[in-house]
Amino acid sequence: MFTYLLKRLGLAALVVMAVLLLLFSMLHMIPGNPAILALGTRASPEAIAEYSARMHLDKPVLTQFVYFLGNAVQGDLGQDVFSNRAVTSVIGERIGFSLALICTGMGWAVLLGVPLGCLAAVRPGSWLDRVTGVFSVGMIAVPSFLVSIWALLLFSLELRWLPAIGAGEPGDLADQLSHLVLPAFAIGLGWVGYLARMVRASMLEVMGEPYIRSARAFGLKPRRVVLGYALRVAILPTITLIGMGFGGLISSAVFAEIIFARPGVGKMIFDAVSDRNFPIVQGGVLVATGFYILVVLISDLLIAWLDPRVRSSL
Amino acid sequence: MSAPLSDPAAPAETRESASRERREKLWRFLSDWQAMVGLVLVVLFFASALFAPWLAPYDPNAMDIPARMSGPTWPHIAGTDQLGRDTFSRILHGGRVALYISAIGVSASLSIGLVLGMIAGYGPRWLDNLMLLMFDAVRSFPAVILALATVALTGPSLTVVLAIVILTTIPSYGRVARTATLALRHTEFILAERSLGASTPRILFQHIMPNVIGPLLILAAMEVPVVVSIEAGLSFLGIGVLPPQASWGTILNEGYLVIRDAPWMVIAGGIPLILTTLGFTFLGEALRDVFDPRMGRGR
Amino acid sequence: MTNDILLNIEGLTLDFRTNRGRVKALRDISFPVRRGRILGIVGESGSGKSTILWSILGLLAGNAEVTAGRVEYGARDLLTLNAEGLRAIRGEEISVVFQDPMTSQIPVLPYARQMSDILYRRSMSEADKRKAAVDMLRRVGIPDPDSRVDAYPHQFSGGMRQRAGIAMSMLTGPNLLLADEPTTALDVTMEAQMIGLMRGLRDDFDTTIVVVSHNLGLIAEMCDDVVVMYAGEVVETGEVHDIFHNARHPYTRALLECDPARIAEVSRKLPVIPGDIPDLTRPLPGCIFADRCQKAMPDCARVAPPQVARGGGMARCHLLEGPLADASWPPPADVVTVGRDLGGLAPAKVRNDAPPLLDVHDLNVRFRTMGPLKARMNGVSDPFVDAVLDVSLDLQPGETLALVGESGSGKTTLGRTILNLQSASGGSVRFDGQEIAGMAEARFKPLRRDMAMMFQDPVGSLSPRKSVRALITEPLVIHGAQGRDLDAEAERLADMVRLPRSFLSRYPHELSGGQARRVGVARALALNPRLIVADEPTAGLDVSVQGEILNLMADLQAEHGLSYLIITHNLPVVRHIADRIAIMYLGRIVEDGPAAEVFARPAHPYTRALVEGVPQPDPDRRRPPSATIEGEVPSLLRRPKGCDFASRCPLAQEACRRAKPEHIHIAPDHRHACLFPLSTTSDLTETA
Repeated sequence: MFTYLLKRLGLAALVVMAVLLLLFSMLHMIPGNPAILALGTRASPEAIAEYSARMHLDKPVLTQFVYFLGNAVQGDLGQDVFSNRAVTSVIGERIGFSLALICTGMGWAVLLGVPLGCLAAVRPGSWLDRVTGVFSVGMIAVPSFLVSIWALLLFSLELRWLPAIGAGEPGDLADQLSHLVLPAFAIGLGWVGYLARMVRASMLEVMGEPYIRSARAFGLKPRRVVLGYALRVAILPTITLIGMGFGGLISSAVFAEIIFARPGVGKMIFDAVSDRNFPIVQGGVLVATGFYILVVLISDLLIAWLDPRVRSSL
Repeated sequence: MSAPLSDPAAPAETRESASRERREKLWRFLSDWQAMVGLVLVVLFFASALFAPWLAPYDPNAMDIPARMSGPTWPHIAGTDQLGRDTFSRILHGGRVALYISAIGVSASLSIGLVLGMIAGYGPRWLDNLMLLMFDAVRSFPAVILALATVALTGPSLTVVLAIVILTTIPSYGRVARTATLALRHTEFILAERSLGASTPRILFQHIMPNVIGPLLILAAMEVPVVVSIEAGLSFLGIGVLPPQASWGTILNEGYLVIRDAPWMVIAGGIPLILTTLGFTFLGEALRDVFDPRMGRGR
Repeated sequence: MTNDILLNIEGLTLDFRTNRGRVKALRDISFPVRRGRILGIVGESGSGKSTILWSILGLLAGNAEVTAGRVEYGARDLLTLNAEGLRAIRGEEISVVFQDPMTSQIPVLPYARQMSDILYRRSMSEADKRKAAVDMLRRVGIPDPDSRVDAYPHQFSGGMRQRAGIAMSMLTGPNLLLADEPTTALDVTMEAQMIGLMRGLRDDFDTTIVVVSHNLGLIAEMCDDVVVMYAGEVVETGEVHDIFHNARHPYTRALLECDPARIAEVSRKLPVIPGDIPDLTRPLPGCIFADRCQKAMPDCARVAPPQVARGGGMARCHLLEGPLADASWPPPADVVTVGRDLGGLAPAKVRNDAPPLLDVHDLNVRFRTMGPLKARMNGVSDPFVDAVLDVSLDLQPGETLALVGESGSGKTTLGRTILNLQSASGGSVRFDGQEIAGMAEARFKPLRRDMAMMFQDPVGSLSPRKSVRALITEPLVIHGAQGRDLDAEAERLADMVRLPRSFLSRYPHELSGGQARRVGVARALALNPRLIVADEPTAGLDVSVQGEILNLMADLQAEHGLSYLIITHNLPVVRHIADRIAIMYLGRIVEDGPAAEVFARPAHPYTRALVEGVPQPDPDRRRPPSATIEGEVPSLLRRPKGCDFASRCPLAQEACRRAKPEHIHIAPDHRHACLFPLSTTSDLTETA
């Protein structure tokens, strides 16, 4: 188990390294002075000189990368080009909004999608199964940003049930929650359908396994067979899927934050791209990918813990 | 007696079963209403995109300032935008962008993913690990984040969208191809080919590929909506197709700016997007059910 | 109905709805199961024997439809009983042992949990349920059950899993135990142990057992009553002695005659039942066996045969009663009724004077068991196992050498290493005098013309998307087919392996096991090799069909002077086809010599255990339970320090556990690796 943890952590570190390398080389593959790219064309010659010295732009590229890596490891992701604040503190202010959105979005999708998938799998061909089938395909097919736009149009602008933009007054929990409803609904909707279908498929496959037939042959109650046996196995691939799904969810969250003008990391990156505020873009991308890698790592460890076959092969 | 419960297939019964099975599958496909809806929508998508110049009532970029911001009325059945351009014509022309991106994007990432996946699955362990690491690293970038980072450096363009689409979808094909290849790698028929002296390329392309390509083609049908959504999404953010050119994403973008005054634009811009993704999803699902029941609903 | 009938099946008729139409899988099945006895249902694949078990339990697949019949259990008809009622019976009164313990036990729950779940109807405390589970595990022979009860299925070896499966089914003390091919997934020595265990449980718990198997040996060894099935019908029932010594149905006769274990004299040619199982979507109106029966008359296919009673049993055949009755049927037991192709060429002459074609010397194959990092972390200095350990053997031109062993013996690895499909870690392999071990594939490729391999799974070893034509000409294409007419070659090869030419356009999944095996033979022979390594050539084939393949191989050997290296666990077959045999255990050869010699006078205790371990298809030759050896093949990870077999050997002494015995010649061509061989007489075994 310990070896596995070590290996898995090492792998995650490797992926983070690859991401860092990619980010770094992107800045350097573009023709032109990286300092100007990073600071913008309006930057003063002094600022450029200062930046070049700080980023060791006069040194060989490899050395630069080592410095870059070293800074990143120490939590120094550079400064905001305009405000000169540390990128980490800018992100720190915003990350809460993004985390709240992503977790709520996935949360309601799991709470609704997994039971739906189970119910559909228990009675394949029933009306519930067919209705969930069609609806889930529909939910998967609609791009989440379109859901965001249409939800904004319908619930905020037409029906005026929920606020349209922002994240709510700081300190006013009820207001913040009401601002969370629409974007979380928008990014989770597709996942309800997706999870329902995947859980159903996975349950149906497990229900066809010989050991389920054994459980029935020993006269176990159908409830026990479905929840205690089939779901116990079928949930494993679903966990992996949810872990990987966070990648897509981050993308959806970026759209939702932009459309609902929610001050999260996604909106921050988007604004920084328009302003060519490269250190912020870099920091934001790193945080987003790092979050994803962390989630996948957690889901892998969860599987290793839940599946005795994986556990003892470690 | 490996599966006595469900299929007591007697050898004598297999005589004409191959062609009968194919006919059977086709029939099952055609009698599934979801498949038919999918097929109709997909045909509609192709036809409207290919024949857009002849079908569109107006030049998509012709401005008609007096008629700007008109609602969905005759002759502008989907209304006009703030420059008085006909939204319906722009939607038809926007379909061309979606078709272009999905055709090139899907076929490129399918072929690259197939080859990389087969190499990862059949090659030595270290190569497999390296490929997986690469797939994982690429996948760690949510598509939009990667696009934003790229555009921050290069500026928006259709080429960037295409590159992002290809790059971010390769891992899905690669993983499926790898898993399938890995499962075949130690089967007896591959060992049998090796024992006859078949070369590695021969094994890969003659014996592994025909068994791997099926699920990949089904995946491709399911990936078209993803690709179309990425293009529309990036264009919506203003980092894909650039404004004068019509794309479903740019229509939504322009509509979003005037969402309070001209809500029909985001509605009209969204409908073709939904119909296309729905069409391909239904089609892909139906194909999977018929040809690869183990992957999906498994009726 | 008297009280001694526990379960009575009456007229059970069942269809499967498939896309080929309705498969009439069971037709008018009737037989009683008598209380306290063991009933065996025997049949080949497609006979529907397992389907009967699932209909008793009401666990048929969704596409099955019972169209007629009753399954009477006490006063109830299990076919019409509601779901609640069935569930009350399942596991409590009627329980099951499954064919494959690998897939029939849920992998994510420990045995303690699985077993206490089965006891959910009992008002017992969890502690008592656990104790009951531990006691039952101990009863079925799981060592250290107090801690093993918390293990997961994958932590058990195959034999242990099946023991645990039996423990689960016996936990509630059922009246009726159904066993579906309970030993098919197990090795010979384990099979004998399971038979003993189940007979013992029947005596202890007073349980009635219904066992389904294709294995005549198991049926003869274990059962009191036998039901013989063919293509969805019961063709004959009776007491085990009546069936095995005085069968009345031509199919039963033929099946028994085809079993190589029942053929006393060694013969290169084995009997077969020609033809295939009929199409069950359109079964014949008359006798279902008519189109394969040697004694068939024109009316047999048209008129349903009469059911002729004898004792408690019956047989359905026109020969026994009615206008077509034949007083000379059944003939005495020593008369052969099936076609026995004795023609063809005389067996090939082994050229003992020639230099050996294949000469393997001290060959070793090692497998890595864990990554270097993990090995370092766990303090394992040598993260390898020896799959093949110091193996030496040779093969003369025209000779057949059988490599015999249980699973994990390394026999398949050895075969693959000889063909350079697996790299050796030491030793030498000489083919025709040329060293080939570790040769680069590019240099080895020309040699592949001379050395071919047949793989275990007849269908699975054929590339699934290629036609038979493409498959059998592929060796020619790979090795340069310039100027050859491939279509003509395909037809030549098809004729050679007696495969109808019309099959050339088929695909592997459209072939039966026997047909696919012929394609495999054709591929192996396409380049006129000198050596063929055949991995379990009869695996996946029914008894009535395996003879066809073995006869074909024998003919081809005689015609082309081929050498065969046959890898198998099937000792009865080996006795007929091999010139010499080599017995492998844990990667080592423990004994090798002329086949007749090794069978008659085994020197190594393991050889004797194997030879005697095969259940004999003769109820008069049942072995006492003491004849089976204990334990299971140990994992390669825990290879004993001394003799590999010492941990299971009934004759092991202290010296055996100290060092590996050297190979000793007891005749120029007969060696063994045992410190205390069974000498050639039996006196040593008796004193031990």
